This record gives sequence, C-alpha cells and structure tokens, in this order.
Amino acid sequence: MSRSAHPLFFSALVAAALALPARAARGEDGAEPPCHHGGSQELKRARRSTADYVLPRVPLVRDDGKVVTLPEELDDGRPVVLDFVFTTCTTICPVMSRTFAQLQQALGRDRDRVHLVSISIDPEQDTPERLRAYGKRMGAGPQWRLYTGTVEASVAAQRAFDAWRGDKMDHTPATFLRAGPGRRWVRLDGFATAEELARELRELLAAR
Amino acid sequence: MRPPTSPAARRGPGARPGLLALLAAAGLLAPAAAGARPAAPAPASPGAGERIYREGLLPSGRPVRGAREGGGGVEGALAACATCHRRSGLGSWEGQTVIPPILGRYLFRPGARNVDDLDLPHVQGYVARRGAYTDATLARAIREGKDREGRPLGYLMPRYALDDASMASLIAYLKQLGAAPEPGVTRDTLHFATIVTPDADPVARQGMLDVLRQFFHDKNAGYRGATPPMQSSRGIMYRVNRKWQLHVWELSGSPDSWEAQLHERLAAEPVLAVISGLGGRTWAPVHRFCERAALPCLLPNVDLPVVAEGDFYPVYFSKGVLLEAALLSRELAREQERAAVRRLVQVVRPGDVGEEAAAALAKAAPPGLASVTRTVGAGEPRAALAAALTGLGPGDAVVLWLRPGDVAALPADPGPVAAVYASGRMGGLERAPLPPAWRARARLAYPFDLPEERRVRMSFPLGWFQVRRLPVVAERVQTDTWLACAILSETLGHMLDSFVRDYLVERMEALLSHRLVNGYYPRLGLAPGQRFASKGGQVVRFAQGAGTRVVSEGGWAVP
Repeated sequence: MSRSAHPLFFSALVAAALALPARAARGEDGAEPPCHHGGSQELKRARRSTADYVLPRVPLVRDDGKVVTLPEELDDGRPVVLDFVFTTCTTICPVMSRTFAQLQQALGRDRDRVHLVSISIDPEQDTPERLRAYGKRMGAGPQWRLYTGTVEASVAAQRAFDAWRGDKMDHTPATFLRAGPGRRWVRLDGFATAEELARELRELLAAR
Repeated sequence: MRPPTSPAARRGPGARPGLLALLAAAGLLAPAAAGARPAAPAPASPGAGERIYREGLLPSGRPVRGAREGGGGVEGALAACATCHRRSGLGSWEGQTVIPPILGRYLFRPGARNVDDLDLPHVQGYVARRGAYTDATLARAIREGKDREGRPLGYLMPRYALDDASMASLIAYLKQLGAAPEPGVTRDTLHFATIVTPDADPVARQGMLDVLRQFFHDKNAGYRGATPPMQSSRGIMYRVNRKWQLHVWELSGSPDSWEAQLHERLAAEPVLAVISGLGGRTWAPVHRFCERAALPCLLPNVDLPVVAEGDFYPVYFSKGVLLEAALLSRELAREQERAAVRRLVQVVRPGDVGEEAAAALAKAAPPGLASVTRTVGAGEPRAALAAALTGLGPGDAVVLWLRPGDVAALPADPGPVAAVYASGRMGGLERAPLPPAWRARARLAYPFDLPEERRVRMSFPLGWFQVRRLPVVAERVQTDTWLACAILSETLGHMLDSFVRDYLVERMEALLSHRLVNGYYPRLGLAPGQRFASKGGQVVRFAQGAGTRVVSEGGWAVP
C-alpha cells in the first residue's frame, strides 16, 4: 500500500486507510509510463491462454430484470463468449462491445447458437434499464445478454475469471470463450478482433 | 503517442491500403478536390472545432466518423475526441491504457527535457524527448494514425475522416484549449468557495464552516513558502506546494436572485472550484450557476440535488431524498404483495424538500395505488400534524417527509394503518424522535451504511473532530464536509500541477472509487458522466423500543 504519489499525509494511519493501489502512481516512478495511447502493442494483439475457472454460485440480474445464477446462465449448453464492461466507461468497453457487435455479424446464422455475455463491473450504476440502453446503443442482438447484480456478486464473478483488478477504473480488456459446460476456457487478454473471436468460436464449435 | 515497442507487433505497410480502402468503402474519406478552381480554405473556427472535439459533430451537423484498424467504425459521440482525451484535453488512464494529453501546448512543442521547460506540468501519458507536431503532421495523425515520426499510433486511436476546414477548426480548438489561465489559481494559492443558502439550517451551517476552516487551516499549516515548480524527465514529479484559500459565499434573499449574487461573487473572487456547501429547500439556482460558469461544484450538503443528465460540473454524494423516494417505492411494491395497501398517504411541510420527494414517490408508486399528499398546516405543530393525519384506515401506507421537530410532535398513535414509512435523511436517521407507537411500526428510508457497519470508518472523521476540538453539532453534515475536503485534497494530489477545473472533475471521476474511508457511505464511485457517488440505500426498522439500533429489512439495494 505504498503511496509514492502522495506529497502530504494527514497521518500514517489515514494514508494507509486511504491508500490507492500503488499503480495509481504509475508513470511517476519510471522514466516513462509503461504504455501509451491505447496501450502498447502487446495490448493490441490479444494474448491467448486456456484456463479452468470455477464459477461461483452468485445471483446476477439479467438486462430483462430476471434474477439468474452465474453457473446456470453459462451452462445452458451454448458456447459462451464473455467479457466485463461498464456502461459509463469511455475507453476500453466501447471498443470491446463494438467487437461483440461485429462478432454477431461475423458469425452469420451461427450467432443463434452462441451466448454473448457482458457482466457489469459497475453494478450499482448499471441497472437493468441502463444495460438495456447500452446494449441497444451497441447493437446487441437477442443472443447477447448483459448482467448486473450486487457489488459482491460482480466482484465474485471477476475474481472467478481472474479479471478482478481492485477497481473498475483499473480494468484491462479480456475476453473469455468456452465451448460448453465443463470445457476449458480460452482467455484472450487484450483487444481481440471480431475475426479472432469468430475463428476461436468456430474451432470450439467444430471440436464439440 | 508512442511507437510500438515490439517490432514484431508492428503493422506492416501492407495494412495501410487496406485500411484506406475500408475508409473509402465506408464513405469516410473526403473526396479529393476536383475541378481547376482552387477553393479558398474555409476559415478555421475554434467553435466548430469544439463541437467536433466534444460531441463528435461536424459543422454540417453530421456525425464525425472514424475507424480503428481491424475494428470497424466509430461515429458521433463515441468518436468525439473528448470521449477518451476528456473535456480538459489532458487525457486519462484506465487500467493499462494511458490516453495522452492533446492540448496544443503538449502537441506543438518539443518534449521537455529535465529542467528546461518549467511551465509545462507533467501529465500521465505525456512523453518528453519528442519532436513537436506541426499542423500538417497532426492532421496526418488524426487522419492516418501516424505520429510525428510517421510511426503508427496506438490501437484505440481511430483514424478520422475530416475535411480540411473541419481539421483546421479542430486544430485551432486544440491550440486554444487550456491556454487561458485558470481562474482561482495563482503561483502560490488555490482559491475555493463554499456556498451557503439563506434557508440552510443554522446549526449545520456553523458545523460545516468549522470543518472547512479547520481543514484549510491544516492544509496551510504544512505550507513552507513558495517552492519553484520543478519536474524531471526521470519521471519524478515535484509538486508545486500551494496554499488553499476559502471564500464563504453566503447567499441572501429569494432563490431567483442567487444566480446574480453568485456571478458577482465569482467575478470578485475567482475560484477554482466550489467545495462542499449547504442548501435548504432548493439548490437548483446554485447548480445552474455552476454549470453555466463551468465551475466544479463538489459534494455539497443538500437533501434535494438537481438530477440533470449531461451536466458536467455539479457532483453530489447521492440523490438525497429522491433516492429515498426510489427506495420507498420498491418497499411499497413489496408491501402491496404482503398486505392490502390501497392508498399512499404522504405528509409534507409546504416549502420543504419533502414536497419534491413526495411527488417523485407518487410518480414511482406501484400501479393500483391511490395517492394523496397532505401538507402540514401553519400554527401549532401538534394540532397541525393531527389534522394532516386524520381519517387514516387499514388500507393506508403513511409516508412522513418531516424534520425532527415535526416527527416529535406526531400524535401518540398512527392508528390502524397498513404501514408507516419515514424519510431517514429528513427525520434524523436512527435518532429520529418518533413517538413509541410510531417507532414500533416505522420503517425508515436509510441511504447510508448502518451505524455499526460504519463505526470503524467513522472513527476517522470523529477522531479528526476530537483532536481539533471541533464541536460535533451535525454529525452527518460535518462528516460529509470532512469527506468532501479529503476527496478534494486527494484528487488535487493526483493532478500534478495541472490545476484545471475540468481536469479536477475528471480526476475525481477516475479516483473516487479507490477510497476506503467514506464516512456514512459504504462506497463511493463515479465515472465519466456519473454525478451521484453513492447509489444505494436500505430500509430499516428500529430494533428496540429505545436506543439507536436499527435493522436492515432487505440489505443494501440500488433502486
């Protein structure tokens, strides 16, 4: 909990209690910030890995207001493409959501066989109404659903996918794909393109 | 704006024609000038540039369009420069993503070396040791995504289709953005105002001013004379140490005269921002003034804030009594399932904020519920309240939007009503002086953390008051005032000498949710466009016949 960015402390106690993650001081302790203008090139190309994630049984509220649980919602048999967004995000999320919209188009008729999932990382702001409006603005079709819930549920979901970064403002772009219940997850860190996602999905569908 | 670090990841030149073809196919490229008559260049208009920058709209009213490499098009508001570079032009960062500043003074001069450019504060994402842009290379960066040296910009930066006149206007705007000196910022002092309306509670007013003056005093106690601005391209930023000066703007007369009074005060005492403050029945004129004057109005103590989507400068802790109305509307819907509630009876004092809260609840009440609002008449409170509460029956749900004085003067018994609700915010939260029979039945809207949940966090402000021997006369108002000051102090600490009004709001948007010590609130958070930091609340009942223990009915919820 170091605060190299802070010039004055009221007291060590307050400083500790108010501590921002050290990352808030990023760019002030190195010669240059680590990446620039939309991130370094390794963000531009998504990094692929696979992982097994255990889905916590947390309740989420779908954009139609229905209360669902995370595992059941993801285990309906369809391949899943999942990301974490929030509706007032100005940099990363619009790009990721735009990619989801393009993925719907890229999949053509196959899109009816997949489930696109966006889980809010700002659930108190992102009510189901706001999620619906966001989905509409971004061009979400019927197979792309958005989810909110309590802060605790959202954090639990982020932790389950190793996507919890401590605060919504510290999130990084990542997309997760899975062929079906019980299968491994493919994780793409960075801005995957719609083509990359479509290719991953087709491979997952073909392998089933 | 940095070239790719890994050569392997660089886009080959072959991608360029592809992208140009894509832009052309999408109708994004301005047609080449045709005909022999060279058109005179349209005069650059910073106003038109501002519209492109902030709203993503061309002078024609059509949306600005751009495309990301391999990522398809963006247009309109999503394509506006301000979306990422923010209104201030000082950029932003999110996770690993750093958006650099694009004010003219950063773009059009060569990067600063260690100590040869002392009047250029460092900003996240600004990289020293770079050449300067020219109008031509900047236009190329915006259209083709190439930096000064012709290397590709980052993926998030769209390539924009802008005709020459629009480009000239945009560049003219970037040159003037942030160029004017910021009001209320001098070489050694930051000036802030706080605003008190004439109908503000006098006790809370004194409590708030005590906290503000003490906080400013503490801030300046550490001031050790002017330090010269310093910075280093080694990435170590020395902050200019500045004093804080508080101006108390006490308003008088009727609300329709407040805006004029505020304009006079601001002209006489330029300030960087309004911090905290105290309102009574209405805050709308103050909100309007701050928005029009482009003056941040940060976290005032108001029961009835202004909900205005799209306003930038006023920032509130919560929606106040409107949040309570939303919480109670949910509760009523549940109550309807449990019991036969047929009518909503709301009790308000004419001229108090309860009137607006009651109107909001009546509007949001579940369908099938009759709704009536009764105002407490003038004269002796006990008799007036009894009159307002006559003729209630078993199908009625009563909602009290009353202050403690009225709450204490309620008749002994609510009678055979279906349910009793009260505004916690107005009535005094767990200290609401409800008569025993009311207290046994009442459920309070409670848009805060429960007392035992916030106890540990509250030791920070309460300890602060105690050490400084500040009398605690209005705990919640004083805690929120302390919190507002602490948030301001922390946000300024992250601004690295770029003391700019818009940037202050933007940094607060980005940093607020990191805080852990939030007084009465379980958590606070903002984001671009969010103006209410605490979004939820609960409905509580008293645990015992006496004391201040309250129990949450359904836990924390966001209505």
